[in-house]
Amino acid sequence: MRRSISRQLTLGLTAILLLAGLLVVQTSFWLLEHGVRNYSQQRLQVQARNLLASLIRDEDEQLIVNERHHDAVFLQPFSGRYFVIELEGTHWRSRSLWDFQLLPLPQESFAQGLIPGPLGQQLLLYTGEYRYADSKIRVTVAQDYSPILASFRRAQMMGVALGFVVLLMVLLGQRWLVRKALKPLENARQQLLQLQSGQRARLEQQVPEEMQPLVEQVNRLLVHTEGRLKRSRNAVGNLGHALKTPLAVLTSLLARPELQAYPELLASLTEHLQQIEQRISREMARARLSGEALPGAYFDCEQELPSLIQLMITIHGERLQFSWQAPAQLRLPWERDDVLEMLGNVLDNAGKWARSKVQLQITQQGPYIVIHVDDDGPGIELQRREQVQQRGTRLDEQVQGHGLGLGIVRDIVDALAGTLTLNESSLGGLRVTLCLRLP
Amino acid sequence: MRLLLVEDNVALADELCAGLKQLGYAVDWLVDGRDAAVQGAVEPYDLIILDLGLPGKSGMEVLQEWRANQITTPVLILTARSSWSERVDGLKAGADDYLTKPFHQEELFLRVQALLRRSHGFSNQTKIKVADLQLDEERQVAVQQGKEIILTAAEFSLLRYFMLHAGKLLSKGHLEEHLYAGELEPDSNVLEVHVSHLRRKLGKSCIETRRGQGYLFTGAPE
Repeated sequence: MRRSISRQLTLGLTAILLLAGLLVVQTSFWLLEHGVRNYSQQRLQVQARNLLASLIRDEDEQLIVNERHHDAVFLQPFSGRYFVIELEGTHWRSRSLWDFQLLPLPQESFAQGLIPGPLGQQLLLYTGEYRYADSKIRVTVAQDYSPILASFRRAQMMGVALGFVVLLMVLLGQRWLVRKALKPLENARQQLLQLQSGQRARLEQQVPEEMQPLVEQVNRLLVHTEGRLKRSRNAVGNLGHALKTPLAVLTSLLARPELQAYPELLASLTEHLQQIEQRISREMARARLSGEALPGAYFDCEQELPSLIQLMITIHGERLQFSWQAPAQLRLPWERDDVLEMLGNVLDNAGKWARSKVQLQITQQGPYIVIHVDDDGPGIELQRREQVQQRGTRLDEQVQGHGLGLGIVRDIVDALAGTLTLNESSLGGLRVTLCLRLP
Repeated sequence: MRLLLVEDNVALADELCAGLKQLGYAVDWLVDGRDAAVQGAVEPYDLIILDLGLPGKSGMEVLQEWRANQITTPVLILTARSSWSERVDGLKAGADDYLTKPFHQEELFLRVQALLRRSHGFSNQTKIKVADLQLDEERQVAVQQGKEIILTAAEFSLLRYFMLHAGKLLSKGHLEEHLYAGELEPDSNVLEVHVSHLRRKLGKSCIETRRGQGYLFTGAPE
C-alpha cells in the first residue's frame, strides 16, 4: 500500500491519544484511590480514639466497653465496621464481627494492604496503642473497603467508556480537519492529472503557503520547457532558412538556359540537391519534435482541423474533397506542432495520390486515439505495405513517392510511442492508421 | 499584372524577377519587411510573393498588418519554414498559398498563375477562358475557335489582364499602373497601340472603348 499522509496522521494520532488517555485515566484513578484510602485511614484512626471514649468503669472499677456509647454499625453483624479492644488480658469485640476472628497487629500501625474479612469483605485495618489510667489499651479498628473499590471500578469503567467516546470524536474531528487541510494537495493532484491529459496548461497559483513553492516551481518548469522548445524550434527554423534559401537559389539556377546543354550534369545536380533537401527536411522535422516532454500541451481538434483541411484544399486544389470527423470537443493530449506535423504529412501524402477524396477520421477507443486517413488513390500493394510496416525500415528509401512524408509521420508516431499501419481502404486506396496510447 | 516580390536573398530574388518578367508580369522587388508593409498597402498590386524570414519585420507580421488593414491582395508565402504548424499559422494569418524552399521556379510560376486565376473567379481551371477565347499562359498564345493566335509579350500580358477582368470597365490609368508599373512616359500612347494590335488579331468587338472612361473586354468575336 502506498503511503498516505491522511492515513499516517490518523494512525499516529490514534496511538498518541490511546497512550495519553490510558496514562491520564490510570494515574488519576491511582491518585484518587490513594487519597480516598488515606482519608479512610485517618478516619479509622479517629474512630479508634473515639472508641476509647466508650470505655467506662463498672461497679468493680473494671474498665468495660459501654455498648450504648458507640455507633450502631458496630452492633449490626458484618456491617463492615469492626473493632477489637484489648486491655490487660481481656478483649472486647464488636458485635458486628459476629464469629469472625479479627487479628490485631502486633504494634501500632496500619495493615499493609487489605485484609480479608467476613463474607469476602476487604478490610482496612488499624491498630492503635493508648495509655488509659496506667493501663495499656490496644484498639484495632477495621473498615470494609470493598464498596469503595467497587464504586471505583464502576467509575473506572465509565471513565474508559467516556475516553473511547472522546477518542472517537477526536478522530472524526481530526479526519475532517485533515481532509480540509489536505484539500489543496488533493486539488493539486487533480490538476496534475489534468495537466497530463492536456486539459490544463498551468497549476492554480492560489494555494496555501506551504504548497506555494511547489506549485510555482512546477509552473516555472512548464514555462521553461515551453520556452526551450520554442527556442530550439526557432533555432531549427533559422537553420532551415539559412540552408534552404541557398538551396532554392541553386534549384532556380538549374533552370538557366546555359545549363540545358549539359543534361547529364543537370540530372546529377538535380538529384543531389534533392537528396540534400530531403535529408534537411527529415532532420528538421525530427529536431522539431517535442515528443512527450511537455505536459499541459494539447491539440484541439475542432479548432485546428478546419484550418488544416482548408490548407489541404489550398494545396491540392478543389479537385479533391477533404473531409474530417472527430468526436465533439476532442482534445488530444499532445503538442500542437507534433500533431499538426503528423496529420499534415499523412493528409498531404493521401492528397498526392487520391483521385477525388481524402477522409480523416479520429476516434477514441478506450485508452487509445485511433486516426484513420483514407484515400481513393492507387494504394500500395500488400508486399510493400508489409515492408513498410517493419520497424526500423526507412520509409523514404522503401516506398518511392509515399516516402518522405510518411517517414516523418513514423518518427512522430515513434516519439509518441504509437503505431503506424497501412491497410487497404474501403475507398479503394490506402488507409493509414495511427494508433496512439493516451498518457 | 503587377507583382510585389519580398525576398531578402539577392541571388534568389534576381532569378525570380527575371523569370517572372519573362512571363509578362511587372515585378517590384523589396528586401525589408518594413518597406514591404508600407508599399504593399499603398500600391495596387495584383499579387504579392512574401518571404517569411525578412530583415526589419517578419513576413508573418507584415501579412497580419495588411490583413488587419483590409488589404485583400492575394499573398503567396515563400519560406524555408516547412512545418505544417507554420503553414497552418500562415493560412490563419491570411495567406492564400504557401510554397516551401527550395522549389522549382516552374512550380512557383504555376502557383502564381493559379492563384491569380483563382482570385479572379477562374478556380478549377488550368486555362483562362472568356467566351470562346482561351489563353495558354505557358506558351503565351491565344486560341480562338481552334485557331492559335501568336502574341507579343506586351500583347500577351495586356490580354491576360483584360481576360482576368472580363466584363469590367478598366480606365487607361488603371491599366498603365498595373501593366507597366508607372514606367511609361506621360502622354505615351503605348497602351492604345497594344489595344489596337489586339483588336486586329482577335476581332474589333472584343475590346470596347468607352469614351472618357476606359476599355471593357467582352471577348466577343466580330
